[in-house]
Amino acid sequence: MSEKQDFSELQKLLRLKRLETPGPEYFDRFVDAFHVYQRREILQDKPWYANFGAFLLEPWFAGLPRLAPVAASCALVLAGVAVILGPLSQGSGHLADGKVAHPRGIVVASVQSGQSTEIQPELIDTAAGGDASDLRPLYVNGHGAVAYDSRLAF
Amino acid sequence: MSAEKALPLDLENGPTDEELVASTLKGDLGAYDELIRRFQGRLYGVIYHLTSNHEDTNDLLMEVFDKAYRSLPTFRGQSSFYTWIYRIAINRSFNFLDKRKRRQGAMSLNELDEEGLPKLDLADLSPQNNPNKSIMLNELQNKLNESMLKLSNEHRTVVTLFDIQGLAHSEIAKVMGCTEGTVRSRLHYAHKQLQKSLGIYLKR
Repeated sequence: MSEKQDFSELQKLLRLKRLETPGPEYFDRFVDAFHVYQRREILQDKPWYANFGAFLLEPWFAGLPRLAPVAASCALVLAGVAVILGPLSQGSGHLADGKVAHPRGIVVASVQSGQSTEIQPELIDTAAGGDASDLRPLYVNGHGAVAYDSRLAF
Repeated sequence: MSAEKALPLDLENGPTDEELVASTLKGDLGAYDELIRRFQGRLYGVIYHLTSNHEDTNDLLMEVFDKAYRSLPTFRGQSSFYTWIYRIAINRSFNFLDKRKRRQGAMSLNELDEEGLPKLDLADLSPQNNPNKSIMLNELQNKLNESMLKLSNEHRTVVTLFDIQGLAHSEIAKVMGCTEGTVRSRLHYAHKQLQKSLGIYLKR
């Protein structure tokens, strides 16, 4: 296959792109940065209508003027629904059995009452024992949250 | 046709990827850290060569590991972990590229992010270090990036996985969910396109 020879110079050049990578410091810090990222994602607790709103507004950003009025109308309706339903999930999100992610930290115990969750301030604890910014890395899987390398046993 | 120097897919010592997955699912979360360390460099490379932007790559890499962690309970082990996570990375990158294309149109070279990172200096790699050659090589580097961005997502992915990452055709086929023949065909087409764009430089 003569083509193979023809591409050899090109392939040498492409291999040089392996050098286009951050230094080792970036990768040394990446795991820690990932823990911070994941914790932030958990604690942000985006309500369902935020994602739905972003989906509806996508045509607008994409420059599709025909769909923009439709998206705007839906966004207005959605805003109304959010105002009504918003308080139900305000400030917290379920992480695991009986545990709730709250902007103030990871709740280790909570009491369910009706549709809302009552957070017991005295039971609020964080994996690091401090405020939310001091939380230790946290992972979440399909079953709920688990604290990583912490004294909390979920 | 195989890559001259394939990157190893498994570390020679220590637990296998699948063992680390099993440990993670059992609650040993340090095992997932180890998986991240094993794959962060390679996945960074895949995403970066698809997006050509380091900031976007960083964000996407976080998303990929997060998505993979959340989906780990559904990982059945029908494919290897590296195939599975590569797929996640590629799918996420494609979604991102589609959105970026819709919002901004084709990305211009001016948007390529080269700050704060070791710059690829082809001149240093050249045996003859004369100024004219240096200028030409930098121009070649820009032209190469520009030509890569002109390829379709699928063609750019194949070039990235084969020529830059050193994966074998069979591995690329598994990652991309297509046949080896398709991989070879895409690779041949992509090489032809790149050769066409860069031929004038490569002949010198």
